[in-house]
Amino acid sequence: MATRAEMAVEELRGEVSVRASGEGQRGYNRGVPGDTGVQGQAGEARTRMEPMIEIRKLNLKYGEKLALEDISLDILKHKVTAFIGPSGCGKSTLLRCLNRLNDLVDGVTITGTIRIGGTDINDPNLEITELRKRVGMVFQKSNPFPKTIYDNVAYGPRIQGLPPRLAMDEIVERSLKGAALWGEVRDRLQESALSLSGGQQQRLCIARAIAVEPEILLMDEPCSALDPIATAKIEELMAQLKKQYTIVIVTHNMQQAARVSDYTAFLYLGALIEYNLTKQIFVNPSKKQTEDYITGRFG
Amino acid sequence: MVDSAKVLAAGEPRGVARLLSVTGGRVTRRIRVDRLARRLVTLGGVAIIFSILAIIFVIAAEVYPLLKKPTASLVGTVAARPDSAPLAAGVDEYREIAYLVTGAGVQFVGVKDGAPIAPSPLAGLKGATVVGTSPPRRGPFAVGLSDGRVIPAEVKFSVSFPEGGRRVVPELLVGDPIAADPGKRPITRLAHVVTPAGPTTAAAVGPKEIVLLTVKETKALIGPSTKEASSQRLPLPIKGEIATLSLDGRGEDLFVGTSSGQVLRVDLRDPSDPKVAGAVAATNRPGAGVSVMGFLIGDRTLVVGDTLGGVSSWQLLQADGGERRLTKVYDFMPHAGAVVAFAPSSRDKGFITADASGVTLLRYGTTGETLLTIKGEGERFEGVVLAPKADGVIAVDAAGRLSQWVLDNPHPESTLKSLFGKVWYEGYAAPEYVWQSTGGTDDFEAKFSLSPLIFGTLKGTLYALLFAIPLALLGALYASQFMHPTLKGIVKPTVEIMAALPSVVLGFLAGLWLAPLVEKVVPGLFLMPIVTTLLILIAVFCWRFAPVGVRRRVRAGTEVWLLIPIVILGGWISFQLGGVVEHLLLSGDYRGWLLNALGLTYDQRNSMVVGFAMGFAVIPIIFTIAEDSLANVPPHLVAGSLALGATRWQTALRIVLPTASPGIFSAIMIGFGRAVGETMIVLMATGNTPVMDWSIFNGFRALSANIAVELPEAPEGGTLFRVLFLAAFLLFVMTFLLNTIAELVRLKLRRRYRYL
Ligand SMILES: Nc1ncnc2c1ncn2[C@@H]1O[C@H](COP(=O)(O)OP(=O)(O)OP(=O)(O)O)[C@@H](O)[C@H]1O
Ligand SMILES: [Mg+2]
Repeated sequence: MATRAEMAVEELRGEVSVRASGEGQRGYNRGVPGDTGVQGQAGEARTRMEPMIEIRKLNLKYGEKLALEDISLDILKHKVTAFIGPSGCGKSTLLRCLNRLNDLVDGVTITGTIRIGGTDINDPNLEITELRKRVGMVFQKSNPFPKTIYDNVAYGPRIQGLPPRLAMDEIVERSLKGAALWGEVRDRLQESALSLSGGQQQRLCIARAIAVEPEILLMDEPCSALDPIATAKIEELMAQLKKQYTIVIVTHNMQQAARVSDYTAFLYLGALIEYNLTKQIFVNPSKKQTEDYITGRFG
Repeated sequence: MVDSAKVLAAGEPRGVARLLSVTGGRVTRRIRVDRLARRLVTLGGVAIIFSILAIIFVIAAEVYPLLKKPTASLVGTVAARPDSAPLAAGVDEYREIAYLVTGAGVQFVGVKDGAPIAPSPLAGLKGATVVGTSPPRRGPFAVGLSDGRVIPAEVKFSVSFPEGGRRVVPELLVGDPIAADPGKRPITRLAHVVTPAGPTTAAAVGPKEIVLLTVKETKALIGPSTKEASSQRLPLPIKGEIATLSLDGRGEDLFVGTSSGQVLRVDLRDPSDPKVAGAVAATNRPGAGVSVMGFLIGDRTLVVGDTLGGVSSWQLLQADGGERRLTKVYDFMPHAGAVVAFAPSSRDKGFITADASGVTLLRYGTTGETLLTIKGEGERFEGVVLAPKADGVIAVDAAGRLSQWVLDNPHPESTLKSLFGKVWYEGYAAPEYVWQSTGGTDDFEAKFSLSPLIFGTLKGTLYALLFAIPLALLGALYASQFMHPTLKGIVKPTVEIMAALPSVVLGFLAGLWLAPLVEKVVPGLFLMPIVTTLLILIAVFCWRFAPVGVRRRVRAGTEVWLLIPIVILGGWISFQLGGVVEHLLLSGDYRGWLLNALGLTYDQRNSMVVGFAMGFAVIPIIFTIAEDSLANVPPHLVAGSLALGATRWQTALRIVLPTASPGIFSAIMIGFGRAVGETMIVLMATGNTPVMDWSIFNGFRALSANIAVELPEAPEGGTLFRVLFLAAFLLFVMTFLLNTIAELVRLKLRRRYRYL
């Protein structure tokens, strides 16, 4: 099935490869650990692996208030990267920069570059909808549309042009299975999404996000409103999903970050304090602040 | 606080108790305040409900008599003992003294006791007896004598109020006898009217022959006036015999009812040359003959009763060739037996007919309805009288017994049919919905059809909403989803201030300033939406080719500034183009073209102008409420949609609009309610012509405006007064129903689009 979305993605990829060959060598791939002050094995690992998202010298202001300060980091393909940090440190803001959802906020100014697959996402000529198709997002608070379960999942594919009904059924089923929800809702697809439980709703939002087949999945505290069982299900799901997707997750739950993520970034007051392999961060953090936060001796 | 904490830390149970009691005290005070607030709110709510119910009750109480069934109650029957069987009867307006036309002349009797009062002999009888009398009507009549003469007469009552009492004194005025038939045959059937030019009498002198007697008085300025009497014999081409004669009040037409069931018209407009102008079969029952005939007040509707009980009403209507023809208007509910008596009301189009079995039916000529059945005790009435104030019925039988009924029939002209249905009014070619409450003359037929007014209200509302809803909703959608917040902060309050504009100002502007202006540019106005939309689309298309640098300079949500000159340009081009189009396609004059090509007339104050003006009144309401509900759609839904790669338009149409639909629906319904009840604008910006026509170029009259227009002319307690209350009631019911339905739909929508 060659949907328009896929074709667009192909196009984007083509562009990326051209750019990569042109700029790649003098680009930011070099010297990342030095730039960010991130140390050790992670840097090694990254140089070996292809970065999916490259953030360089990102500053973000809400009006006069600086919310993100000089952030540079690479997020690797098919890995789970966790953002941790105290409340208000800018995790959500950083996440929302990645699909330009901050555009909705009046008075934000962003400097620096973010490249996804080599494309500068703040380029004014970029079709923002194409970007958002490639970068799916699951919100902290589940937000199913007041429509049926089926229509919720079908919403993304539909707005990109209606595939035939049969194909749509297939997409819906695949997405719901991907979000481990199919078994629970297969008989009630035409019921309102609002009749689902909180955990089911959150998984529906994941299904909705993966129905458009993004490359990156941003998850902003997806489990904050869920019970341990639902949380476990979603964590399990993430382990599944990372085979296909690059996942960035914001969480306040240290155990969760330790369990599900491969890399962890610790933010504090809008600045990136430490970024490394999760194991490294939790076992042997290099910064005092990180250690304090992880061990709970903090704010 | 610190204290209690310390105590707690010490673990003393007394401390806990004190803590509880402290909070307990606060709780009871809170509960008291709570309870008070709840009671106040309940009281307010109940008071509101009560006052609304009270308003409904007051209105309903005013409306109720309109639709109440009339009643008649028998006062009594008294024996008047006349010298011979009475031929006809009459009564004064207080129903104190009745008069009977008998063989010896006219006899006055007291209605209460049947006692004879001051005999007033008919001068000039000269031994003959009275054998016939003209059909009863107000004012003069004539009696036919057994010796072929006719005597004109008139009964007058003078009323005085000595010492707080009331004294009614009857008086009989008698004219000079006229010899109608030289052959001295008894005159049993005759008709008599007095026109400004003089009296006219028609008398049957044989089974198929009549004599026309006219007296022309020419009043000279000086000297005695001259009287010119003429007498003409006229044989009639009829089957059967002459059964009854009737003259209209203007003396223009004579109607002759025959025993074969025909009604023949004789045109008397040229008195020297009466012409038989056609005959119609007045009954469709075989074997029936005309038995009674007479005019309702105003002399336009002729009522015909037949020997088999049929009663119908007829009018002279102009046919296509300009020639007048007797046309049947209504068939009334038939009597069981021959119709023997007929009496019109002297204040409205009501009348009564009586049959041989003593049943009297009260009818109404405008609606063709029979309002009431009055049953006598089986005697055969010789005459029935509807009292001058239409508040009583007096019937007299062959033995001279008078029966009196009191009628309670204050609003005979208003029935469900006359208020909402099609009614065949006098002078109309067919039944129609007409509102015309007052006229110049006493015998004016009030036309109280509310249908054109309901229609007008709906028409005005429709055109107003047609203009307002798209503008208000699109505006709200734009303001809530796309407009820059700072700009919205200016636009929204401005629109809200528009709502505060008094509607009388809007109506005034619309009627006196906008209407003449619109009249000049109608073609351009119709081009404007198309031209402007096209221009905007072109502009948006071109915008995509503008350099990135320029595009970035325009902040998201403020693009609307760029569109303002384009909209103005669109308006200008439309008006220029309108002139060209009118010149080239509409042959230079759109009004003429409308009339010729579409058959529409253009009124200066028309529905379009009202649509604009009322749109202005309605747009702020719809805009504000819709914008609020659109802006209240949770941002996380919008973000969710955008994050899936939807454009802002897709998000607005597929997520925001459905989610806000309950609010939008309320907005429209509240706008609808406002438009339905709007008075001043429709009053001032339409011609207030109660026509039923959907044309946008016509005016209309709305229920609300009608109340405002007519209330000063409505005497309290009168039919018009009550009909206006009914109009108010309808408005009330309309808005009530509307709001109820709207609320139900809104709740349903809200359940469906309930968000988190
Ligand atoms: N729309 C906004 N306008 C202005 N300031 C904002 C806006 N959104 C966030 N901020 C500010 O930016 C800072 C970072 O906010 P952000 O939501 O990214 O924090 P967070 O790390 O996600 O916190 P939490 O863990 O509580 O979700 C905060 O100080 C917040 O006040
Ligand atoms: Mg957050």
